Amino acid sequence: MNADLILEASGISVHAGSQRLLRELSFTLRAGEVLTILGESGAGKSLLADALMGNLPAGLVAGGEVCIQGQRSAARDARARRPLWGRKIGLLPQEPSLALNPVRRVGSQLEEVLQLVRGLPAHAAAEQSAAQLQAAGLSASGAQYPWQLSGGMAQRAVASMALAGGASLLIADEPTKGLDAHWRDHVTGMLRTVAETGGAVLLITHDLRVAEALGGRLLVLRAGELIEAGEMADILRAPSHAYTRELIAADPAHWPVRQAPVSGPLIVQGRGLSKAFNGKSLFQALDLDLHAGERFVVQGPSGTGKSTLGNVLLGLLRPDAGSVIRAPGLATTALQKLYQDPVASFPPRQTLGSSLRDACQLHGEAWSALQGRLERLKIDASLLTRRPSQVSGGELQRIALARVLCARPALLFADEPTSRLDPLTQRQALELLGDAMDESGAALMLVTHDEDIARVFGQRQQVFAAH
Amino acid sequence: MSSTQTSAWRGLLLRRAIQVLALLLIIGSVCFLMVRALPGDMAMRIAASRYGYDFVGSAAASAVAQELQLQRPLWQAWLEWLGQLLRLDLGQSLVSGEAVWHEMAHHLAASLDLAVTTLILAMLIGLPLGVAAAVRPGGVADRIALLFAVVLRATPAFLLGILLMLLLAVHWGMLPAAHDDQGGTLWLPALTLALGLAAGLARISRSAVREALASPACEFARSKGLSDFQALLRHALPLAALPVLAYLGVHLVLLVEGTVVVESLFAWPGVGHALVHAVFARDVPVIQGAALSMGLLFILFNLLLDALMLAIDPRQRKPGASDA
Repeated sequence: MNADLILEASGISVHAGSQRLLRELSFTLRAGEVLTILGESGAGKSLLADALMGNLPAGLVAGGEVCIQGQRSAARDARARRPLWGRKIGLLPQEPSLALNPVRRVGSQLEEVLQLVRGLPAHAAAEQSAAQLQAAGLSASGAQYPWQLSGGMAQRAVASMALAGGASLLIADEPTKGLDAHWRDHVTGMLRTVAETGGAVLLITHDLRVAEALGGRLLVLRAGELIEAGEMADILRAPSHAYTRELIAADPAHWPVRQAPVSGPLIVQGRGLSKAFNGKSLFQALDLDLHAGERFVVQGPSGTGKSTLGNVLLGLLRPDAGSVIRAPGLATTALQKLYQDPVASFPPRQTLGSSLRDACQLHGEAWSALQGRLERLKIDASLLTRRPSQVSGGELQRIALARVLCARPALLFADEPTSRLDPLTQRQALELLGDAMDESGAALMLVTHDEDIARVFGQRQQVFAAH
Repeated sequence: MSSTQTSAWRGLLLRRAIQVLALLLIIGSVCFLMVRALPGDMAMRIAASRYGYDFVGSAAASAVAQELQLQRPLWQAWLEWLGQLLRLDLGQSLVSGEAVWHEMAHHLAASLDLAVTTLILAMLIGLPLGVAAAVRPGGVADRIALLFAVVLRATPAFLLGILLMLLLAVHWGMLPAAHDDQGGTLWLPALTLALGLAAGLARISRSAVREALASPACEFARSKGLSDFQALLRHALPLAALPVLAYLGVHLVLLVEGTVVVESLFAWPGVGHALVHAVFARDVPVIQGAALSMGLLFILFNLLLDALMLAIDPRQRKPGASDA
């Protein structure tokens, strides 16, 4: 047995009753190594992490054997690995700001790990906690509450806590979901540090850019099956499986740049727009013209006023100063919005069909025209008998797109329409959105935190910088 | 940080102070009008309370009416009463002639005794039951807590009070039934009120603790190495405390409401008991005093709860978060 062998997974599988969700999978992870599991949602990536931790939802059964730093247990025996939590396996939670307890100070949440898990006496735990916070660049945050930290600070605090108990295996499940390039690099750097200081990292992601930056080995999962395994660089250079090639092509960095259409008459004009929120100025004295057919992309980190600008142009928010002038002759419903969370933009207890019929009726459109549009958006008619919660996010966002086009918008404001979708679905949804806009000749204002999407989509860009 | 904290506290006190003023005006006026609207001759009822029914004739009644100027128009009496209220003068009891504030101070102290004991008992019974039910949903504690809650919430205070009296005082002789000079008379009325409150507390703390246990914060506490018990104690309970306190704030009205029935039942010399007697005797100043005292008690408890929430939940001390 090798001393630096940290994780040995042999024949890990997950079943729900007789249904197999994850096919037997074996791999090892040594100190200093990074292993990335790549796949779209539903591929079984998170199930694998849960099975290793011993944290599967009720009703799911793991098979195979797990050996963590010499401690061998059956994968089914979740209780055997519970004592290893924090001590040998650390889990980096998906949303660090939610993982911290809002009513307790950051320092005490780290201190308790050192005291209760590591077994340090109180004063030593306090000293050590202060030292670790300082090392993470959080020396002033020990006395703060989690909601007083920025996203990146919370991310660092959570990482310190996950590792404070002495864990050498860090499982990171989608640690970069919804983060922009800046924070993505930050997380990547942090994970690399863990590996460089003798730990091992198991990264679960659908974001190829993180995987690429971290290097190491790669496993590609699809629908619970392993379809490709090997060194990251080799696979990225010469993927052997068609699905892997598709995944790589779905990375926004590899998208072809869209042809900009010819722009037409002026639709909306903003003059001297200013808006502040909670005393923080989001934009000031901004002049903006939007023409028919134009692709205007607003890009920047969250909380910088991207959505606010769109809402001001649509007339959903009043600017603090300046004015928004609509082209004369526009219908009152000519400016439309596509929301970030499609589930929240449909009435939950109505079937999708009845929601769409209402929209048709409201805007005086023939049902057959909408049906044709759904067909072009590759939405099967049978989905319309379901409720919003019963279809996938990608499908629902396309249905939302079909619905918003009922109003024949002259300007469509799409607010992060695909940030919750995985790359394959995201690419498909955005391409359909672009095609629909080209076809209708409407202006598109697209808000995104993804600089690659902004690059391929934007004919004109407005970048909001972090404050 | 400290300046935003003090401003949060100042906002809290200011809000409650405005409530106290509004309460004085509204409760006082409503009581005043309700008493005037009661059927029967007011002077006759007051005279009867003073001298006893056997000694009251129309002469005594008109003497009372003369003395108390009962024949004045309504608005005059109301305006005069308002002026007195602003001078914090609640007048004298029409029956005993004693100052209302003086009488009320005595009743209020007794009611406060009862309310605080009730609150402590309710928390001692309800909270552990709720937490135990939350830790093992569907377990023995959960089922007992559910049964307890359903039965007690469905039992009105007067019935529960009589049952407890029969069982604990008459049958087992453990506690004195009604007010006498021995100690321990507090326990039965307090228990009667506490059981109803505890039933609700058990339900609400169960769901609050379950929700807190399922929160990402608690899951992270466990995955970073804390035991289930440590995660419960250090992360779930502080999170669950907030909705429980909010529930208490709303349901303290049960305490104020319950005191009327329960104090009368157990002859506990509190505000509720005084109120019932004053209504029978048409003793307007005492009715107003009692109603105001009850309202004040309610506001006082809510003020304490608000302060407690502010102390537990640092998020409420954020600037801009103080507007409830």
